[in-house]
Amino acid sequence: MTGLRLRGVRKSFGVVEVIKGVDLDIASEEFIVFVGPSGCGKSTLLRMIAGLEEISDGELFIGDDKMNEVAPSKRGIAMVFQTYALYPHMTVRENMGFALRFAGTPKDEIARQVAEAARILELGDLLDRRPKELSGGQRQRVAIGRAIVRHPQVFLFDEPLSNLDAELRVHMRIELARLHRELNATIIYVTHDQVEAMTLADRIVVLRDGVVEQVGAPLELYDDPDNLFVAGFIGSPKMNFLKGEMEKGAVRLIEHGDIRVPVSVAAAPGTAVTVGIRPESFKADGSAALDLTVELVEHLGGETLAYARHGHGQLITVATDNDRGLASGDGFSARFNPEALLLFAADGARIR
Amino acid sequence: MLCGGERFDLARTGLARTERLNGWMFIMPALVLLGVFMIYPILWSLWMSFQVGRGMNLSFGGFANILRLTQDPVFQRALSNTFIFLIVQVPIMLVLALIFATMLNDSKLWGRSLFRTAIFLPCVTSLVAYSVLFRSLFLADGFVNDFLLGLHLISEPIPWLADPFWAKIVIIMAITWRWTGYNMIFYLAAMQNIDRSIYESAKIDGVPTWARFWYLTVPMLKPVILFTSVISTIGTLQLFDEVNNIPPNAGGPSDATLTLSLYIYNLSFRFMPSFGYAATVSYVIVILVGILSYFQFMVVRDKRR
Repeated sequence: MTGLRLRGVRKSFGVVEVIKGVDLDIASEEFIVFVGPSGCGKSTLLRMIAGLEEISDGELFIGDDKMNEVAPSKRGIAMVFQTYALYPHMTVRENMGFALRFAGTPKDEIARQVAEAARILELGDLLDRRPKELSGGQRQRVAIGRAIVRHPQVFLFDEPLSNLDAELRVHMRIELARLHRELNATIIYVTHDQVEAMTLADRIVVLRDGVVEQVGAPLELYDDPDNLFVAGFIGSPKMNFLKGEMEKGAVRLIEHGDIRVPVSVAAAPGTAVTVGIRPESFKADGSAALDLTVELVEHLGGETLAYARHGHGQLITVATDNDRGLASGDGFSARFNPEALLLFAADGARIR
Repeated sequence: MLCGGERFDLARTGLARTERLNGWMFIMPALVLLGVFMIYPILWSLWMSFQVGRGMNLSFGGFANILRLTQDPVFQRALSNTFIFLIVQVPIMLVLALIFATMLNDSKLWGRSLFRTAIFLPCVTSLVAYSVLFRSLFLADGFVNDFLLGLHLISEPIPWLADPFWAKIVIIMAITWRWTGYNMIFYLAAMQNIDRSIYESAKIDGVPTWARFWYLTVPMLKPVILFTSVISTIGTLQLFDEVNNIPPNAGGPSDATLTLSLYIYNLSFRFMPSFGYAATVSYVIVILVGILSYFQFMVVRDKRR
């Protein structure tokens, strides 16, 4: 199997630059996920790797070969599209075997490959059906099967689960993770869903406006985000951001009665900062506390989310273990440990 | 209780009757017009097709007209000419339209909308006007011969409109020029409905360009190809304006471009009128359209259903 290297990769459509210089190393057999809000350039970047979009500047290597000018079919890749892109007039068997006919593969070998892919994807009973006779999840599996039979070095997935309903998405997520283990392939996967990114990826690449904001393992990004954007994008429910000002050895939370919380970061007193705290970082045994009034409670069964404010300040999300006693209008003290706070400078960069 | 229910039903029936009456009133004007100008003439012409005689002097002749068809060399000439136009021109035109549509569907092609307009433009020209223009182009001393002579591609003028073979060629070129763009628009519209990622996927999978056209585009356009082939068949069976106007003598030379429609026109208005026989020939076209359309549907039918 093969890794990839991107060096200063850029893409412009006319005067609009959508990918603004991406450097990235993808290891062999790695499951890497490009994640970011819509319009961040993640799909464009994937299509550049596939060869469907030209690379305006920079270099792309797949394995040791520079691939900028190489035709898509010669890059050793296979791609699964969001719309599945199945051939509507062909059966599942024909869909999966179609490309092999043009690669000079003998008939019985094609049949063997298709049967093998059908076994891996549990499509055996559906081989003689047409795409319109299949459910969304089955179509998705056929699209993956069409990629598998070609034995590519690298699999590219462009938002493959976006058209499926929530339950099926969870199921296919597990399937994809299994498939990655079974195929030992390099996978590049694009999604806007950070849950998919967290659950599937070996490493996540967070993109915004054509720039890589951070690359790292899912928990690295969760625990130790480089900036405000990554902190806000990774994690559900979203991280709370409070206004603060540095003092000596502490941060003062302006909208929370000027309470002082001890922190140990290097920032000059008087600096305005943004203080991040995750909803799930509030613990009953914390040494610091915010005084909040509950506005709304969501009981999810396993946990309870409270949306609360201090006075007329901003809404804060608090995940309580399972405090079913909370009700709207209650005052309560949301306790947390000062170590759980993340501090960000005015430009969004993390202060460590 | 029962009484109330009955009254309610009565009210409902009354209301339903009013609504039904209203509905009929709304479609009545259209129905009357259709009846007078379509259904009545269709039935009347069927009746006519069993009449024999000249001018207004008609009498019932039973199957005499059908018998006359089998013994009429001019009819057989018109029938075979019509079939030659059908078999040669329709496939050429549809293949050309498909190729143009594929080329003009490529988003990277320079001047795409210019070419689209240029190829579609002949469709908005008047049939008679363009026929007259084609006649002048293909006269013995017309532009086409002058042009070919000037390039030294030919040594003497081609008798475009005087030779039975070349006259057919000119007709075929003319209707191809006039109708290719029309069919192309249907193909283009259908192609723009095909998910682009189907082609991108095939490209990544190494499917060559010709195979993407032959194994993906053509099968996915099957319903539209059927539609265009049916309307082109009907159009060609009704071919009239071009063969009446392009050759200096309509249908000529020596009936080489005589079609069924032109023969019907001749029988009714050019010769001593025999409306009954003309109606019989019209029904030949109706039956041919029916049979050919049926076969086209059979050929393209999804074999799995």
